[in-house]
Amino acid sequence: MRRSFLAALAAAVLPAAAADWPARPIHLVVPYAPGGPVDVSARVLAVPLQTALGQPVVVDNKPGAGGNIGADAVAKSAADGHTLVMGAIATHAINPSLYRNFPYDPVRDFRHVALVVQVPNVLVANNDVPARSVAELVAFLKANPGKAAFASGSTGSTGHLAGELFKQLTGTDMVHVPYKGSAPAVLDLLAGRVQIMFDNLASALPNIRAGKVRALAVTTATRSSFVPELPTIEGFDLTTWWGVMAPAKTPEAVVERLAREIRAAIEQPDVKEKLRAMGSETPGVRSPAAFTAFVEKELKTYSALVKRSGATAD
Amino acid sequence: MKIKSPKDFWSGLMFVASGGFFAIWAIVHYQMGTAVRMGPAYFPTMLGGLLVVLGLIILLGSLAMEGPAVPQFHFRPLVMISIGLVLYGYLMKPLGLVGATAALVYVGAAGGHEYRWKEVTILYAILILFSWLVFVKGLSLPFPLWPAAYS
Amino acid sequence: MEVFANLWMGFGVAISLQNLFYAFIGVLLGTLIGVLPGIGPVATIAMLLPITFNLNPLSALIMLAGIYYGAQYGGSTTAILVNIPGESSSVVTCLDGYQMARQGRAGPALAVAALGSFFAGCVATLIIAVAAPPLAEVALKFGPSEYFSLMVFGLIAATVLAHGSLIKAIAMVVWGLLFGIIGTDVNSGVLRFTFDIPELSDGIGFVIVAMGMFGATEIIMNLEQKEKREIFTSKVTNLWPTKDDFRSAWPAVLRGTALGSCLGILPGGGALLSSFGAYTVEKKLSSHPERFGKGAIEGVAGPESANNAGAQTSFIPMLTLGIPGNAVMALMIGALMIQGIAPGPQVMNEKPQLFWGLIASMWIGNLMLVVLNLPLIGMWVKLLTVPYRYLFPSILVFMAIGVYSLSNNPFDVLIMAVFGVLGYICAKLECEPAPMILGFILGPLMEENLRRAMLLSRGDPTVFFTKPISAAFMVASLILLVVVALPAIRKKREEAFAEETK
Repeated sequence: MRRSFLAALAAAVLPAAAADWPARPIHLVVPYAPGGPVDVSARVLAVPLQTALGQPVVVDNKPGAGGNIGADAVAKSAADGHTLVMGAIATHAINPSLYRNFPYDPVRDFRHVALVVQVPNVLVANNDVPARSVAELVAFLKANPGKAAFASGSTGSTGHLAGELFKQLTGTDMVHVPYKGSAPAVLDLLAGRVQIMFDNLASALPNIRAGKVRALAVTTATRSSFVPELPTIEGFDLTTWWGVMAPAKTPEAVVERLAREIRAAIEQPDVKEKLRAMGSETPGVRSPAAFTAFVEKELKTYSALVKRSGATAD
Repeated sequence: MKIKSPKDFWSGLMFVASGGFFAIWAIVHYQMGTAVRMGPAYFPTMLGGLLVVLGLIILLGSLAMEGPAVPQFHFRPLVMISIGLVLYGYLMKPLGLVGATAALVYVGAAGGHEYRWKEVTILYAILILFSWLVFVKGLSLPFPLWPAAYS
Repeated sequence: MEVFANLWMGFGVAISLQNLFYAFIGVLLGTLIGVLPGIGPVATIAMLLPITFNLNPLSALIMLAGIYYGAQYGGSTTAILVNIPGESSSVVTCLDGYQMARQGRAGPALAVAALGSFFAGCVATLIIAVAAPPLAEVALKFGPSEYFSLMVFGLIAATVLAHGSLIKAIAMVVWGLLFGIIGTDVNSGVLRFTFDIPELSDGIGFVIVAMGMFGATEIIMNLEQKEKREIFTSKVTNLWPTKDDFRSAWPAVLRGTALGSCLGILPGGGALLSSFGAYTVEKKLSSHPERFGKGAIEGVAGPESANNAGAQTSFIPMLTLGIPGNAVMALMIGALMIQGIAPGPQVMNEKPQLFWGLIASMWIGNLMLVVLNLPLIGMWVKLLTVPYRYLFPSILVFMAIGVYSLSNNPFDVLIMAVFGVLGYICAKLECEPAPMILGFILGPLMEENLRRAMLLSRGDPTVFFTKPISAAFMVASLILLVVVALPAIRKKREEAFAEETK
């Protein structure tokens, strides 16, 4: 209540802040190397966004430390609405528990403007694994403890933590094999060197459709419209997500306008199509406040998961 | 005990020191694990140890066999080029592309043995123009052209 | 034969005006960014991604592919001219190519590199056309144990790169391996040797080390010469290789092409191994191995053909399995997915125009590159005649911009300077940088594969010898070790003997 009053007061007293923005090119920091899904979606978003805002939206790659470097840089940058970051599940929900010296507060150091992409993970198995459903898989794993291995794109990734959650909920045992990125992981999955993977939908879909791997379930709480035939898993609600964030002290009016424009941009048919090609449906989280609440929830979920899995970065 | 091959002596020493550093740091800070389930310390310790051994072999060899002397270090180019590069990186944000390039060109050129102000300045002008055209305009790299105070 | 019918169709599509245009733009851009140190095909393709949204998938792929292998050509140019490897696979070209440039033979070096690359590109394209799916199956057979053994083999081959003391070369390789460990451990997620510096958590970038130890060090060393002798002799003999050059070079081109085509298929490190594998092969097969490192043309011809063949065949896993072999392929997959095409096993069958059109365009692109690069040789050679006191600050500026543009972080430039100093010390102590750089690149991969192989075999170390491909490489490594060590041991014994009888 008090917050929206102050916001209204601020908007009334400083209307110039919103009217002047953007005054120069906006830098959208992607805390990952070029070419990854976060980077590609940022570039996709930049095109309609700069038309709507009347200023160029430049994608800056600031990779490193699992995304922490880029996110930290923006957290500590000037809060004038010209520096934004694509904060992801890694930078804002997982890494805080993974790294001992974590440089920022994912909730308090940012304004969470708009969730852009939300992709479910899919439980896929190599075709030689004798299981056509989650139940059969659990039975197989229980009959062969420690024999099966699951691959992930990195220690502490959603694929890894999904696997740990699965082991925990079903009481099974699998060896975790981390890779540098999901592509080499998928390669070993195809070759049968690992049996299971909780891969993100976009990268898994082609192989599923081609019959090279068998999909058993999605990790979201509701079925995905891309693979409606896949069931959900009891107790699972994991997605990989990222969205636009700004430094904490960014003026309210700027945040509101940015959120509005981004939502409009991702609703545009061609942008929507491109994001769907990544396996992302338009996120249900629609407002900055809802996004902040979402981040808080995810942070809590993953802190617990990370602790239980024992994964650390140092 | 005479050092018969200074080059080899110092190389050996360098290897022993770095190998030792990596191995000891790894043992102290990271988990070793076992040979079948290697922890993060395993590989660096093994390699560090190997480097120490190799370094010792080279070291001992330098005491036994004749070898060339270490050529003289010329500090001027070394220092100037290094400082020039470092200045470029750290002056980019505060002084923009113009400042950083100036630092690199003027300091770096001082590493050579003829320093003519006019020449260096012309070179600087050409380089800054080229950098701006190709990198900022052409490739739209996000470099600030002017010092932060002016933008 | 079906292949020719398909190729015919492919050419039909590739020769459209639009596709020719995009092929040209791609290779031109690729060459430019290959020549500019630091900015690589990954960053360029990422920047151009939005442009591809408005293109049809084939044109987009043609342009992006052109950028990729165009960058290989450009990278060899800087390696030869200023000892700066543009791509990791150009490191080896620096060894003899740069020496040739210093001797006034930059023209022949560049020409041989371009022609060898063209030949290799043609052959590799043919291989893709004929044998892509079965080769992809081979790629699938390479698991962590096979990779580890391959890399052991490769590292032993790396020691051949040195023309000085063998044991120092081995030490440099090991040192490089250690530097490569800096960063995040894939298998445990632990940060190693990062000293709480976040920029080090993904390790030190190859480009930064290469520019420091090869580029900066070279400049510092050159500046030491008190006399006014120019670094690049102005006595430029020829722009074109001599008959002798061709005679020495063409077997190297053949061997390099074969090696590159084979190794390029392997996702992750294949293309790199092929270039320095080719160098090792040439040096070992040569009747005068002491020429290597001083401007032997085979040392340019073999590796350049190998790395271009490798660059082309690295498309195979991407096109047939949808698996990216490196970051550039990952980007192209991203670009395709945005277009609504999911790269994978189906693409060849469902979208034959895309597959065959791309293959045809790769050949066209290679042709364009040769036509583009050969006339430029004259320009490059002229550039080298600029007095060094103007040349070297320019090189410094390009290096600095290149490195800084990687992540807009001054720390990267600092590391480059540090490695420049380190390279200087090593040069004074006669410890060669090339083996170290290769250890640096391969080290983390080796460890990753070693541990993953052990993880997958549940702790059974014999897996390296029981799996056939892996065993083959291990045995080959042993043989290579003996082949490499024997002459060196013999030399040392002769030296020791000579000492004693003095």
